Amino acid sequence: MLQFDQVSKSYPGGFVALDRISFRLEKGEMAFLTGHSGAGKSTLLKLISLIERPTAGRVLINDIELSRIKRSQIPYVRRDVGIIFQNHRLLMNHTVFDNVALPLVIEGFTGKEMVKRVHAALDKVGLLDKVRCLPATLSGGEQQRVGIARAVVNKPPLLLADEPTGNLDPDLSKDTMRVFEAFNQVGVSVLVATHDLGLVARMKYRTLTLKHGRMINDGLLQYQEPL
Amino acid sequence: MSILFTGRATGAAAKKIGLLRRFIMFWLNHIRQAIASLGELWRTPSASVLTIAVLGVSLTLPATLHLLVKNMQQISSSFTQAAEISLYIREQTADNQVQSLVAILRADPEIAQVIFVSKQEAMAEFQQISGFGAALNYLSTNPLPDLIRVLPKNTALEAAGRLLQRLSDERVVEFAKLDIDWLTRLNAIVGMLQQAVLIIALLLLSAVLLIVGNTIRLSIMNKKDEIEVMKLVGATDAFIQRPFLYTGVWFGVFGGLLAFLVVEAMLWWLQSAISNVTALYQSDFSLQAMNFNEFLSLLLIAILLGLTGSYLSVRRHISVIEPTGP
Repeated sequence: MLQFDQVSKSYPGGFVALDRISFRLEKGEMAFLTGHSGAGKSTLLKLISLIERPTAGRVLINDIELSRIKRSQIPYVRRDVGIIFQNHRLLMNHTVFDNVALPLVIEGFTGKEMVKRVHAALDKVGLLDKVRCLPATLSGGEQQRVGIARAVVNKPPLLLADEPTGNLDPDLSKDTMRVFEAFNQVGVSVLVATHDLGLVARMKYRTLTLKHGRMINDGLLQYQEPL
Repeated sequence: MSILFTGRATGAAAKKIGLLRRFIMFWLNHIRQAIASLGELWRTPSASVLTIAVLGVSLTLPATLHLLVKNMQQISSSFTQAAEISLYIREQTADNQVQSLVAILRADPEIAQVIFVSKQEAMAEFQQISGFGAALNYLSTNPLPDLIRVLPKNTALEAAGRLLQRLSDERVVEFAKLDIDWLTRLNAIVGMLQQAVLIIALLLLSAVLLIVGNTIRLSIMNKKDEIEVMKLVGATDAFIQRPFLYTGVWFGVFGGLLAFLVVEAMLWWLQSAISNVTALYQSDFSLQAMNFNEFLSLLLIAILLGLTGSYLSVRRHISVIEPTGP
């Protein structure tokens, strides 16, 4: 599904954000991406969502090299990848419904089909009763879940999440992760970037750990009790 | 359409719908977006009203100048007598020769009207107007020649000049005279006015273009975050720029309507003053207002300018906004 092949990314000024990263995420697989801030998690996600291009190496989705994607094709690639943002990036002056419907409107959905899908997505994250609310009236956790509903509303085969539990309390974090698990169980490939190591260890999924731009661990993470 | 996953039907394409239905949906979508843009303008009334007012005033001036030229042309066209050709007949020409020339001229397709003034009539008129009265009776012979006044059908300068040339070649004609200087001056003045109006109109219309462009640029900057989010969830530039284009169109519509109303109000205001002036000149001049075609062209030009202005702005500024990170 998703493949990194000796990918490096350095920024002007010589800062190396990623150094020869290679891994493969299979179809229907769920994995965590961890590391301290500045370790390169965000950069890795940016390469997948084509916000940045790698300096060297190849990024492939479904065996198609992203370097071959022209600028005008980027929007179509992004429609195949659902992205959940740390600061959820909702349109604050539009209702929850409008926010979730946005990817559908972009793809040309109208009328009943659109309403049906938006309601289904909101139902999955448990926010069906907030359809008409403005995001500002929701709690942080609810806003995050609106962001999740928007990312999955057009049923992308690949789901990326950048610190989805960044500012949630432990219970909400666990609930959010359960939502991702549910999507994974219906065949969606999920990659979650997070620094919440405790949560990662408890969830028992494959974990990719980055440190200073290099991959230092690929596999299950041993849970360590905090001292 | 999915680039990465062949066979993954996405979007509206996932559902098979007929061509007719798709056609209807296309227009329905556009109407919906047009109305949405109108709502957007409505939500920021002060900024929108200011922009529309500036556009209206900028469009009023060219429209007024156009009406000025149009009315000038109306005045100048009421002076067709200015293009009258006077044919002075030689002394000692037999009356029947003169009459046959008059008959020939009446049959001429290039001539609208022929008036024959005999030397006796001319003398009588001269006595009446000049005030010499009885003194003229002491003249032993009538020194005035016979006169044929010819009104050409085509009062344009060159055509009248050609006709003059042709008529002065007639054998019985001593010489022919056309008040060309006066016509030339009038035409030159009208021509100059037209040029001036064109230049001023071009300047003001480009001002409209710049105003719309700048307003749209500001509103793009205001929605930078929203545009970034839309790009992140896969919106194409074309999709993002459409509401802004509609905003430009609405600016054009309202600016054009405002300009029309201002021009009408101005005409109404000036009507009595102008009729005072024309009454003094005993002219039957009536002020020409804007007709329906001119109103439509004004509106169309305004809309085109709004659309072009926003398009230029949108082209430059939307592609520059790129999301910086998830």
